Amino acid sequence: MNIFGYIRESLKRGLVAIVRRQIFWIAMILVPIATAWFLLDLMKGGVPICTPVGIVDLDDSPTSRSIFRNLNALKEVDINARYANYQEALRGLQEGKIMGFFFIPEGMEERALSGQQPHVSFYINYAYYVSASFQYRAFKTISVLSNAAIARTVMRTLGMTDRQAMAVLQPVVTHTHGLNNPWTNYSYYLNLSFIPCFLALMIMLTTAFSIGTELKYGTCRQWIQSANGSIELAVAGKLLPQTLIFCAVGWFIQFMMYRIYWLPLNCSPWHMILAMALFVLANQSFALFILCAVPNFRLGSTLCSLVAMLSFSICGFSLPSEAMYPWISILGYVVPMRYYLLLSIDQALNGIPLYYSRLYYAALLAFTLLPWTMMWRLKRECNNPIYVP
Amino acid sequence: MKFRHNIMIFFADLYRVWRRELRLVFRDEGVVIFFFVLCAAYPILYSLIYNTEAAHDIAVVVVDNDRSAMSRQFARDIDATSEVAIVQYAADMQEARTMMMEKLCYGVVLFPAGFERDIISGAQGHVSLYCDMGALMRYKQMLMALTAVQMKTGNGMMADKIKVFTNSEGAVIESKQVAIGNTAMGLASALLPCVLVLILQQSMLLGIGMLRGGGRERRLKNRGYDPMDVGAAVVPTILGRAICHWMLYLIPTIYVLYFVPVMFDFPLNGNIMDIAVMVIPFLLASSLMGQTISVFVNDRESVFITVVFTSLIFVFLTGISWPRHAMSPFWTMVGNAIPSTWACNAYVMMQTGGSTLEQLKESHILLWAHVAIYFVLACLVEKLLFRPRYRRMQQYAKDDPDALLREEYRRNAVDEL
Repeated sequence: MNIFGYIRESLKRGLVAIVRRQIFWIAMILVPIATAWFLLDLMKGGVPICTPVGIVDLDDSPTSRSIFRNLNALKEVDINARYANYQEALRGLQEGKIMGFFFIPEGMEERALSGQQPHVSFYINYAYYVSASFQYRAFKTISVLSNAAIARTVMRTLGMTDRQAMAVLQPVVTHTHGLNNPWTNYSYYLNLSFIPCFLALMIMLTTAFSIGTELKYGTCRQWIQSANGSIELAVAGKLLPQTLIFCAVGWFIQFMMYRIYWLPLNCSPWHMILAMALFVLANQSFALFILCAVPNFRLGSTLCSLVAMLSFSICGFSLPSEAMYPWISILGYVVPMRYYLLLSIDQALNGIPLYYSRLYYAALLAFTLLPWTMMWRLKRECNNPIYVP
Repeated sequence: MKFRHNIMIFFADLYRVWRRELRLVFRDEGVVIFFFVLCAAYPILYSLIYNTEAAHDIAVVVVDNDRSAMSRQFARDIDATSEVAIVQYAADMQEARTMMMEKLCYGVVLFPAGFERDIISGAQGHVSLYCDMGALMRYKQMLMALTAVQMKTGNGMMADKIKVFTNSEGAVIESKQVAIGNTAMGLASALLPCVLVLILQQSMLLGIGMLRGGGRERRLKNRGYDPMDVGAAVVPTILGRAICHWMLYLIPTIYVLYFVPVMFDFPLNGNIMDIAVMVIPFLLASSLMGQTISVFVNDRESVFITVVFTSLIFVFLTGISWPRHAMSPFWTMVGNAIPSTWACNAYVMMQTGGSTLEQLKESHILLWAHVAIYFVLACLVEKLLFRPRYRRMQQYAKDDPDALLREEYRRNAVDEL
């Protein structure tokens, strides 16, 4: 057999295993697409609206009732209970009926009009972080607005124009521009990172699984032989068909993200299409590298899933990496996911020139070269396979 | 008499299944890793990642087109907040934008020309903040810092002007926020209590899947018979295993749900007895759910592919990230079917909000309902799927002793050895 014959043999072996084992179909196509759909569909609202909250109104004055009405008109919150006192409201919160409440003390209006500075308070359950942030925004808006309403009435009686009154009330105005996501759409932020992360998890586990089964059933010697004793050829034959399928699935997921659910795509689509191909290769190579370092099916899979699961947290999209302990944030730099994420923030979200993302493309490419340094270990293991259950 | 005899057999079976399962767990290094090492290490790892709670000193650049005493004071006040650090003054927005693209900063504060003049002349001064939206936490922290400085500056100026009329300082109505439970308002205290409960469920699912996969592999090598099978009826088999897993998890549960929060200073407002009572049905339900979904596990190692990814799906279904009230009815329903949804929320409510068991009795009852439903499902899966599958394996092996292994090789693309 000539070299092309061996290439054909290796590819055939890789393809046949994919066709005959349904777990590959589940891992390569079903799970990545289903999880992407799950996340996109779950957050298709963009912003969580109508957080159930309560109100305790001990004042029951025209002002406090207008606070109640204005609060209920905001889309962030939905007042679904009025409580007679603090204890009752707290009980409602503990029973999970509400996630926070607005507290108006007795004599609020009277004290406000006589200049005695009453305090209103908002009690928010910060165990639910996202809805807490939106509640805070709603409560703060209402308290600032009602403050302004009363003060403006006072100042009008003193003969000030509305413009003068506003300048006294709020001498400095701030404008916040959330670049490319002014709606603080949660889906735009979270799905940019979590969907590729799921794909990375499945790529790494599938790679580990397909090489691991050869080790497990002791067929790896035959596997190497069918590639003329070349581990590189054997690995390529096994993984290239998967690369193609994963690329196709990855591109379909990108299509779902950017064209069905319309996440921001401010760069040329080719930048992301290229990035996806490099991302698939980088993750396969990273998993291969782990398997070369630990040529054991179970331990290799354990390590792959550990790394992939941790990369959800450690890449720094929930807690930025500069805020972590330095010795932990370093770990974020060793997974391909981080570079794909930074790249998609740069390109898809911000649409800045390709020049500024050059290092991330290079990093993904570098992952592809990583396993070639360790391939000899896998070959040694394949020639003397020992299955440790 | 017959009835009494049956009861005796039932308990004898239960005991034998329980003892055998115990032995299988401790003989299998992979399962021991899932049941004990994972429970010991993962909470620590996650806590260490999130332990800093929030981002501080986020790099921000100032573009000051006003260059007045007031704008400089405002910038100094922003720098003084714990959330933001001013790293550089840029000459214009173009330079600031370039610095942002080079990741030297994540936000730009712009003072337009005439900032001070406007304020002194009795109009409003304007400040703009431009934030990178790659990580929402940075945005939130920058916004918080800017709002705080705006309030402080504004209140100071307002007090000077209206003191004359109202005889008071500051706002007409003061407002303050009280964070309940998670007083640090950080990510770790919000996320970790939920993740801790989920680690228990997921490690159990992984371990049980691996045990079932191991059982099938023993059958492959032994003509369809499992030498470790005790040959008990369906109900005692499922129940015996569940009791065994439940018992094995007592110590990991105490460690994960009590000692880890103590170590990392997470909110601890719950009553320990209440939490314990809540956890009993949760562990049973997890074990029974594990025995149900292990029907998808063929090899020991395919458990990684079938179970690992569900962890994050389950995290989202609990509503700790995207709130449950904002989910579509379909996803709420899917979430309702997972024990962790109820257990995580109950644990979070108890530890952060200080809820009592009585207040959360709905979750508690639902967890027992999960135990019942998953028990029936596990029995059905065992009776209708697992056992017929084993019988078929025995049938094939009777005709040809190598048939089972050959089929396994065939599926790995090895047609002849």
